[in-house]
Amino acid sequence: MKWNGQDVSLYAQSKEFVDTGIVPLIPYSLSGSEKELTQLANQSELLTLFMKEVEEEYRGRIFLAPSFTYLKETSIDKEIERINEWAERMEAEGFKHLLFFTFDQQWKKAERKLNPSLIWMPIPQVQDIHNEEAKKVLRSQIEQVTELITAYWQE
Amino acid sequence: MSDKKQPVSRRQFLNYTLTGVGGFMAAAMLSPMVRMAVDPVLQPKEGGEFHATGTEVKNITEEPTRVDFSYEQQDAWYVSEVSKTAWVYKNESGDVIAFSPICKHLGCIVKWEGGQGNENQYYCPCHGGLYEKNGENVPGTPPLAPLDQYKVKIQDGMLYLGEVIPNKVV
Repeated sequence: MKWNGQDVSLYAQSKEFVDTGIVPLIPYSLSGSEKELTQLANQSELLTLFMKEVEEEYRGRIFLAPSFTYLKETSIDKEIERINEWAERMEAEGFKHLLFFTFDQQWKKAERKLNPSLIWMPIPQVQDIHNEEAKKVLRSQIEQVTELITAYWQE
Repeated sequence: MSDKKQPVSRRQFLNYTLTGVGGFMAAAMLSPMVRMAVDPVLQPKEGGEFHATGTEVKNITEEPTRVDFSYEQQDAWYVSEVSKTAWVYKNESGDVIAFSPICKHLGCIVKWEGGQGNENQYYCPCHGGLYEKNGENVPGTPPLAPLDQYKVKIQDGMLYLGEVIPNKVV
C-alpha cells in the first residue's frame, strides 16, 4: 500500500495484516556539476521506481511511506534522529519490520545508530532506466529484494 | 456594355461567386465542429481489447506457467506502458485458462507452488493464502474469493489476453 487516499483507506481497514514498512532515503541537492546533479537525480528516480515495484509485488503486507528526502549538504547526524523518529512512529502503529532503502553510502557508515534496518544497495549501472535492457537489470534486482523481504518474514 | 446577349449577367455572376465563397467559409467553420461532436463515436472501443503475450499456445502445458505481457494504455492524453502477469495452463479438455496473479485478500502477487510444501496450489507470500489449481481459494486461508481470470483469445496459434473477469472455472 502507498501513501494515497485509496490505499490508506484500505490500510485503515486491514491494519492487522500490514506489518512491514519500507521507506526510500533520497538525497537532494542543487549544487554541484552537471554530472553530479544528473547522477543524484537519476538515483532518486531509480529508487522511487524500485520501491514502487517492490510495493506492487507485496502490496497487501507492505506499506510504502513517502520518500524520506534530505539535503545532501546536511550533516547526517541530524537526519539520523529524524529517521529514528519515523521508525518509532511506525513501530507504535504495529509495524514489525522496518526497512529503509538507499543508494547513498553515507548511511552504511552510520548504520549502527539507526534503529530500523538499513538496506544499502549499489547503484545499478544503467544509462537510461526506460530501455529494455535496463528493465531486465532492474527486474532481477527487484526479485532479489523481494526475496530478502520474505526472508525477514520467516524470522 | 455591349448589346450582345450576355450568357451570365453581372448580377448572376456575383450571386454565384458569393454563394460559392460563402459556402466554403461555412464549411471551414462547421466541419471541425461536426468532427468534434462525432469524435466519441469514432474512438475505438477500450473494453474488448486483447493484448498479445508472445506465447505460443502449443507450448502451454497442464502446469501453470508465468506469462508476462505489456501493452500501452491511454489515459486521456497520457500514454503509459502497463505490465501484466498471468498464470496460464491447459485444463483436461485442452482449454487455455489464464489467471490474474492478484491475491483476492489484499492484492499481493501469488506464485504457483510458491513457499514450502504447497504442491499443486497457488501461494500468496504475504499472509499464506492458498488457491487450488482452478483458482478456488482454500478455506481456512485469508482469501475469500477465487482468483480472477483473463479473457482468452487464440489467434494464429498465439495467446492473447483481454480484460479481467471473475472466475468461471470454479
